[in-house]
Amino acid sequence: MTPKRKISLSEEELILALRNREKIAVEALYDMYSASLFGVISRIITDEAIAEDVLQETFVKIWHSFSGYSSEKGRLFTWMVNIARNLAIDKVRSKDFKNQSKNHELENNVTFIDEQKNTVYKPELLGIRDLVSTLKPEQRSILDLVYFKGYTHVEAADELGVPLGTIKTRLRMGILQLRKHFNE
Amino acid sequence: MENVKAYIESGILELYVLGDISAEEKLQVEDMASKYPEIRAEITEIEKSMEFYAEEHAIEPPADLRQRVLGSLLVNLGDDNTFTKAVTHQDDDHIKRLPVTRVNNFYKYAFAACLTLLLISVYGLVNIYSKLQDSNTQLTALQTDKIRIANQVNLMDSQLDMYRDTTYKVLRLKGLPKTPSAAMILAWNSVSKKVMVDVQSVKLPKNDKQHQYQLWALVNGKPVDMGVFDAPQADTAGIKEMKTIASAQGFAVTLEPTGGSINPTMDQMVVIGQF
Repeated sequence: MTPKRKISLSEEELILALRNREKIAVEALYDMYSASLFGVISRIITDEAIAEDVLQETFVKIWHSFSGYSSEKGRLFTWMVNIARNLAIDKVRSKDFKNQSKNHELENNVTFIDEQKNTVYKPELLGIRDLVSTLKPEQRSILDLVYFKGYTHVEAADELGVPLGTIKTRLRMGILQLRKHFNE
Repeated sequence: MENVKAYIESGILELYVLGDISAEEKLQVEDMASKYPEIRAEITEIEKSMEFYAEEHAIEPPADLRQRVLGSLLVNLGDDNTFTKAVTHQDDDHIKRLPVTRVNNFYKYAFAACLTLLLISVYGLVNIYSKLQDSNTQLTALQTDKIRIANQVNLMDSQLDMYRDTTYKVLRLKGLPKTPSAAMILAWNSVSKKVMVDVQSVKLPKNDKQHQYQLWALVNGKPVDMGVFDAPQADTAGIKEMKTIASAQGFAVTLEPTGGSINPTMDQMVVIGQF
């Protein structure tokens, strides 16, 4: 089911094309980032149909509020993932969703999803799998809570029952670990 | 640079990238990043790491979703291209939309203001027009007055001329024992032969409809008819020109039947004067 031809641009090219409202920018944007964003959204929203809706909303919002993005303030993906996460969290907290959701335990979602879906690993990222497995479990759980679940580090400290300082240290150490592998 | 290192190690940059930070702290981090390239570089490294982490956890959405999402975006794009061809979206972003109601109100108030001004102007115009009419009426009245006075002055002038002109001989006719209060003044011009009566000086009893006063010139002891006149109304001024005569030694006035007589009725003589 994977599209036959995926468009890929450099981040600079993509940003320029988005600014100019080019058709190709829309396709490149989707091809380059839909899987990563859908991964994040799916870890917050387990209902597949709702997750797909949120992904669509995310792209619409990215497209419409693109003038609010400035490359001086950070990478494009960081900006987009925040939009996706906020839309997903808003959806989870909305009344509709609470009524219809099947009450999955939030903490278990990450593993639940990985079990349910055929997570796509890009060949060039195969090394990361080893990395993720080499991340200490406590580092990984904090990263997942904050990055994927939209927990604040204060909420994560509560959830995990560890001091705030420890949370910050573990986050930093976990990300440093990721960087080490990324730069190798 | 120790500060920068400590700042990096504080872990705030990770929280910044994760979006888990207050708006105030966010501005602070962005401020620091713009000042210190090391901090900027550190943030980029963290962002790339998280990007890889997300890619590692990527889930390919269903293929049909691609068409759905692109469709909804390209419909918008189509609209954008159709309706804002000449304008780039960046220009659009700088336009602050005024609330529609405020625009409406503006025109409402502007219209009301215009109407008010119009009414005030019309009122003012009507006022000024009526004042103009008043002034015109006054002006006309003044002009009429002026003409009347000028006429009067001319009349007086000619009257005065009668006394000034040395060719006129002024004669005061005096009352007779029967009519002691009667008097009048006339002037005879020996060159032009004209005889003028100063109407204001005529002091004669009122004549009735059947009678008129008749002026006679005394030429070599014989009376010559000089014409008839009525006793003037009070306050009338002017000069009455009588018939001409080449020479005369005196003048007299008698009361005669209306139209005058051929010969004077001597016992009805009221005034007489001789040069």
